[in-house]
Amino acid sequence: MSDKMNDRKLVLPGEKIAEGKYRIPGAFVEGEKTYAAVIGILDAENRFIPLENKYIPMAEDVLVGVITDSRHAGYDVDLNLPNNGFIPSRDIRLTLELGDFVMCKVREVTETGDVDVGEVRRLPKGKLVSFPCAKVPRLVGRQSSMIDMIKERVGDIVVGKNGYVWISEKADIPLAMETIKIIEEEAHFPGLTDRISAFLNIQKKVE
Amino acid sequence: MAGNSDMKLVVDGKRLDGRAPEDLRPVRIETGVLHEADGSSYIEWGGNKILCGVYGPRECIPRFEASPYRALVKCRYMMSPFSSLEEHSRSGPSRRSNELSKVIREVFENVVIAEKFPNTQIDIYIDVLQAEGGTRTASITAAAVALANAGIPMRDMVSAVSAGKADEVLLLDLGKTEDNLGQSDMPIAFSRRKKDILLLQMDGLLTRDEISRMIDLTLKGEAELAKLQDETLFRFYSAPKHEEFRM
Amino acid sequence: MSESTKDVVMARMMKDVLMNTLSSGKRYDGRALDEFRKIKIQKGVLKTAEGSALAEVGGTKVLAAVKFDVATPFPDRPNEGVLISNAELLCTASPEFESGPPDENSIEFARVVDRAIRSAECVDVKSFFIQEGKVISAFLDLYVLDHTGNYTDAGTMAATAALMDAKVPKVKDAKIIRGDYDRPLAPKALPVSCTFVKVGSQWLLDPVREEELVHESKITIATTAEHVCAIQKSKGAITKDELMELIDISFKKGNEVRDILQG
Repeated sequence: MSDKMNDRKLVLPGEKIAEGKYRIPGAFVEGEKTYAAVIGILDAENRFIPLENKYIPMAEDVLVGVITDSRHAGYDVDLNLPNNGFIPSRDIRLTLELGDFVMCKVREVTETGDVDVGEVRRLPKGKLVSFPCAKVPRLVGRQSSMIDMIKERVGDIVVGKNGYVWISEKADIPLAMETIKIIEEEAHFPGLTDRISAFLNIQKKVE
Repeated sequence: MAGNSDMKLVVDGKRLDGRAPEDLRPVRIETGVLHEADGSSYIEWGGNKILCGVYGPRECIPRFEASPYRALVKCRYMMSPFSSLEEHSRSGPSRRSNELSKVIREVFENVVIAEKFPNTQIDIYIDVLQAEGGTRTASITAAAVALANAGIPMRDMVSAVSAGKADEVLLLDLGKTEDNLGQSDMPIAFSRRKKDILLLQMDGLLTRDEISRMIDLTLKGEAELAKLQDETLFRFYSAPKHEEFRM
Repeated sequence: MSESTKDVVMARMMKDVLMNTLSSGKRYDGRALDEFRKIKIQKGVLKTAEGSALAEVGGTKVLAAVKFDVATPFPDRPNEGVLISNAELLCTASPEFESGPPDENSIEFARVVDRAIRSAECVDVKSFFIQEGKVISAFLDLYVLDHTGNYTDAGTMAATAALMDAKVPKVKDAKIIRGDYDRPLAPKALPVSCTFVKVGSQWLLDPVREEELVHESKITIATTAEHVCAIQKSKGAITKDELMELIDISFKKGNEVRDILQG
């Protein structure tokens, strides 16, 4: 397929992306070749970048979640996954309540997809926004450059790899949401950093 | 279906709507048209207008149905009560829509990489808003685009088209009248890369040779549809601001 | 539509934070408290229906279709046509919609829109008499395709637009002649509904899903240019003063929407 998007080639599921067997997100191996499993882009260096993808939790990933059930044994936590995660009571010292936002790290993912999390910390009151997982790296930016720029202007934000973004109640929530929306729409287009920087500066001047 | 009408469906190589035997009806596909669904598409194929929404992988309900090895692929095909030119029909599923839900689901069970998501389900919802023959093949062609839009991993893209026979002529993409009054109807779905047949039904009477020629005819249709799917996805993903949903 | 556990739990967390933002007179999407999201209406989108329209309010999309058939009249109104309204909350439209028979939300939605249309006398059922025991029946179907909040108002807009688009088919030998039209339906009035929810002390017009999840009270007020034609208070309570104010807003906003419908 030879449709090009700014020197990058759009690739559909089932299209070959490499000779040889490679284990990359959003791709699968068949025979001696690697194919795209999701829609994505092959960039100038022939790297495959998924444009849509489902979040597959891996150990050490930092996630944002919401406590949805509290039992004697522990807490159910909504991690934006098909099934809830579970935090055993014996694993944390804090007492959590229904509706609390938490930040945690993936410890282990079982064969059946259950996710064990640890290093759980409660986040203060705020607002939760859902963001497409395939675009999370853009929202964070290289070495957190993008998210730091946004935080400086807007307030405290935590981005989970699972696509949950927590915005502090004390932050400028409408502005944060608008900024996040722009990044969601333009994530895979060049010039995004400048665009966001300009947008945030204009907002500053308006006040 | 028994082609016993007096009406001529093919005259001097032209069909009722002016098409040549190997012509597809006009097809337009849009993707990313719904906010809530994880992926979506809308297809206009001849007089068909079909909306497709995809959710998942998400929690499997009921729980006892879940498989510890893979996601369950579920499909619900429904026709709206206002989809036919004739009377208003009753809302809700029919035996026909039940069968179509099953065979469409079976198409995608072949290509969705379900093992990646144990204990979950993936839902494909197909709503026919306006029907004019060939809704199942249009639905499949649209659903593949919606699944790609949803980021559901697949081994291959899929499209579907029908072939048929009327007045002893083999035709590609039967319209409603051709389907009702013609001699045979054969909807078929292909995986794009390998050209595996993922849906195949037929009625009427066909010789072995006719079937072979009809499959070749549908492969020509498949090539055109694949191109349309590509253009749809390309259009959507190469523009930050999405086109407005036009029905 | 069931509110999932997650929604209920989130609602508790969300409400305080939302109320903070509302106290500055704005909502998360920057709208004023009495502002509709962007409205877009397309008429005549289906050729299998005698009247149709797609209404989009923000991300919410509702398709309305009007089809005519011949039917037996109700025994207590033997000379009048029949209007039957039905609503379907498509599973595609929201993760909360389940497949199955219509639930109480879908039924209430259809009945409220129907009430507005009937009160406003949009459909002249007296003109639908054919002969003894046979009248024209009009089916109005409301299909919610995408639910980002408040499908009620989008539904009323779609229904009114579909009625404006509708043409009554010719009838011969007590049978409908499809494709052959007698006259446009030409509704006498154009009902528009305004749905408000109360969050804290603020009433918000055209709630998005999140505002619906945390609301304490909800009311829908439908108006024509001159009259209120339907009211449905669902959850919670409202004072008389609040009601009068919301009626004023409904007339004002209703007229703005009527301009869009006629534009």
